[in-house]
Amino acid sequence: MESKEIFFGANVEEAIAAGLAALGLSRDQVEVEVLDEGSPGFLGLGARPARVRVTPVTPPEPEVAVMPAVTEPSPPPEEPDLEEVARSVVGELLGQMGIAAEVHARHAEPESEGEIPPLILDVRGEEAESLIGRRGETLAAFQHIVRLVVGRRMGGRFNLVIDVNGYKRQRERSLRRLAQRMAEKAVRTGRTVRLEPMPAYERRIVHLTLRDHPDVTTESVGEGRRRRVTIIPRKG
Amino acid sequence: MSAMKDLVEYIAKALADDPSQVHVSEIEGETSLILELRVGPEDMGRIIGKGGRTANAMRTLVRVLAAKQGKRVTLEIV
Repeated sequence: MESKEIFFGANVEEAIAAGLAALGLSRDQVEVEVLDEGSPGFLGLGARPARVRVTPVTPPEPEVAVMPAVTEPSPPPEEPDLEEVARSVVGELLGQMGIAAEVHARHAEPESEGEIPPLILDVRGEEAESLIGRRGETLAAFQHIVRLVVGRRMGGRFNLVIDVNGYKRQRERSLRRLAQRMAEKAVRTGRTVRLEPMPAYERRIVHLTLRDHPDVTTESVGEGRRRRVTIIPRKG
Repeated sequence: MSAMKDLVEYIAKALADDPSQVHVSEIEGETSLILELRVGPEDMGRIIGKGGRTANAMRTLVRVLAAKQGKRVTLEIV
């Protein structure tokens, strides 16, 4: 039996769902063997994801039929739901990392008209704090992996945001305030204000906040981890 | 004792075109752990990611587990 048929999840149902999503099969097209029911652990110790083996059931070869068997048109495969797939990927990863947490989903406000608002999955719980990391670096890594895995399972790219205990939401609020304050400073002093280095999504928030500001423009300078936003007063 | 190995294996298999070629081995020292991830040649680029971004993301996540166990961990893709 090949190991690629083994799937993980926070519990048995999620592990099976993950397997079905990965194989693109429905529950009646596979055989499921529960290898490990998993355990939520206690205070984060000894948490184990559930593990199941999902084997596609090959329909038995039809006996050499005198009459050609009537092949029923198979129903179109059900469109996998982004939220469902994303939840199960996040659940599986949390299980692998031994983090017990709740996942809440919501859609963000669209930033501009016609834009598909991102699906936000907020991972909540005390244990999830370790997923934020210094300046949100661990969270960025977690989100990157989740997006890739979801993209593989669903086929395509999706606007998916992972948050932990509302960290990004709070950070966004304080960045917006900071941007406004520093824009005022730039106008008042007539000098360019340089902000601290920030990760890409944080710089984006500053750019978006000041995009329609009448008296300043913004620009990112520097490379890599030192890249930072500058706020430049408009001439005149 | 190989939650870190399992995590790397889970991610690599979830991303690989050919999960059967994904293998992770561990070289364990007193305070350090080296994880060697092998994938099929076709999957190399996908697992490393643009500018090493995916490999680095895996390293970052493995470090969360390593911190709990007070170990230094290195992930090599070979």
